[in-house]
Amino acid sequence: MKEFAYFPGCSLEKIASSYHISAVETTKKLGILLKELDDWNCCGATTYFYIDELLAYTLCARNLAIAEKTGLDVVAPCSACYKNMFFTAAHLKKDADLADHVNFALEEDNLHFKGTVNVKHLIEVFAEDIGPDELKRKVTKPLEGMRVAPYYGCQIIRPQKDKEDVEQPQFFEELLTAIGATPVNYPLKVRCCGGSLILSSRTAALTMVRNLLQSAVDAQASVIATACPLCQVNLEVYQQQVNQEFGTNFSVPVMYFTQLIGLALEIPHKKLGIGKEFVAMAPHLLPVEHVWGLPRKAT
Amino acid sequence: MTDTIPFSQEISNLLHASEGEPLKNCIQCGTCSGTCPVAGYMDNSPRQIIALINLGKKDQVLESNTFWYCASCYHCSVRCPQEIDITELMYALKRYSIWKNRYQEGLIGPTFSEAFVKMIIRGGRSFEPILATSYIFSFNTREFLQEIQGATELLLKGRLPILPARIKRLENFRRMIGRIIPMGGLE
Amino acid sequence: MTKRLLMIDDDPDFVSGIKAILDTGGFEVDVAYNPKDGLAALQTKQYDLLLLDIMMGRGAEGIMIARKLRKDARLRELPVLILTGMREQIAFLFPGEPIHPRFVEIDELVEKPVEPKLLLEKVNSLIAAAETKKAGRK
Repeated sequence: MKEFAYFPGCSLEKIASSYHISAVETTKKLGILLKELDDWNCCGATTYFYIDELLAYTLCARNLAIAEKTGLDVVAPCSACYKNMFFTAAHLKKDADLADHVNFALEEDNLHFKGTVNVKHLIEVFAEDIGPDELKRKVTKPLEGMRVAPYYGCQIIRPQKDKEDVEQPQFFEELLTAIGATPVNYPLKVRCCGGSLILSSRTAALTMVRNLLQSAVDAQASVIATACPLCQVNLEVYQQQVNQEFGTNFSVPVMYFTQLIGLALEIPHKKLGIGKEFVAMAPHLLPVEHVWGLPRKAT
Repeated sequence: MTDTIPFSQEISNLLHASEGEPLKNCIQCGTCSGTCPVAGYMDNSPRQIIALINLGKKDQVLESNTFWYCASCYHCSVRCPQEIDITELMYALKRYSIWKNRYQEGLIGPTFSEAFVKMIIRGGRSFEPILATSYIFSFNTREFLQEIQGATELLLKGRLPILPARIKRLENFRRMIGRIIPMGGLE
Repeated sequence: MTKRLLMIDDDPDFVSGIKAILDTGGFEVDVAYNPKDGLAALQTKQYDLLLLDIMMGRGAEGIMIARKLRKDARLRELPVLILTGMREQIAFLFPGEPIHPRFVEIDELVEKPVEPKLLLEKVNSLIAAAETKKAGRK
């Protein structure tokens, strides 16, 4: 069984607990063990950088150093945590002075960043370590007829790490195809959900959420799949507010990709955290085709 | 080493491992502004803010809401034909503005960031209810009620924490931070 | 002999004020406006004292520079006077609390704004102390 050091991040403790539980259950069923990091701390989201980048790197490096102790690579399910830890590791590996300074601080917690660890997003574990072919073989209940909008958001694919396609990535679609669903093509799949602007610049963020929902609905998606807790909260929890603000009538379920994979692997709903949604998926007992019928179109 | 430096150099100096003045490479093509999903809400678009920096308009830059409206989506950065990391520039401007304690009045961004970092330094982990106090009182009544309604529903669905999470080795953690930012009542 | 000072500080307005005071005091002052240029200057030229800011560039980089100096065989003895406004700059984080870079050997710390008379006194006494120390070892 392949193992990873698992960094859940603050959101997955509560607001995105269904992402946490479905991540653990689906990977387990696919032969991967996620071992939660001991005493991990917040990755800093986007805000440490406003105050002090050295502090931002140190806080991420603490988690990386804890992971290095286990000898395992780190997996983060949240896009912001992933981006922060990935680029912290990259910067520290390149900049010896920075690494030395950060390590000086880490001494206080008896830790040391050596630079041996790699950082992955959870969806990369499915796309690369498991792979769509293997996933397809394990599927027992393909989600036939389910039209899913794969929502990449930002920080999984940006900033660019190497030469990968940042404009038209396909790995999310490939995973959805592997579980028997139909990925819909919609123009805003890599556009931003607004992130923390939902709190600090509300009107701007609600507009961004509305545009995304509209784009998915126009492509006749009956569910949006996300790989980030913040995207999920913005698109789902704030759907009501979008409707109130713009007079729309959106009612699109926004599920974590791990929940959809879990359904295709016939993992019980409870073990996928299903039931905590603001916009529920239609009753699961119905044949799939009927369950995810065409959505109500926004007015 | 000259006697003084232009504003554009002062800003470039804030960038990660800066080399020279990347902002001077800007050709004002506007790809960033066309890409930015928030540009319509900014006082000055990303392209304009770079132009203002290069023109040395320090006050106008500091009074702009532009960088506080950046959602860190990095879309401009990956598309800039001159390879300017515009998102990083926005971070740098936020930092500059916070250090100078100068920003447009009424913005939630600065207060929110300060509350967030303070919270992490105290406990090591994020706790949404504390954070909420940094923005919710800036909302109008309707927004306030919508936010409360959302929070109540989250709570009922078991999606909001009641107690703040804290890391175990908090003392070590705080001393660690003290080695990066040498302030606070340590030792 | 004219004493040569290096000032590493990111704030051009503050720098021009301080530089004017030090010029009047008869010092020769080089300025680096970012940590990288500052380190480069320290590697290539000989100085009698370093005036160092804390918050610049990416964050509290002044501390990083001070630590690096203390590990460098040639620069270890260079007197370091920290001039910082960090208590103002990140006041929200540690309101009213002191600055304590005790883990790195610096010679003196003065908070901005700096009194011209005090600045010249500190600079002179730090250089004198470093010279006495050096002479004592010979």
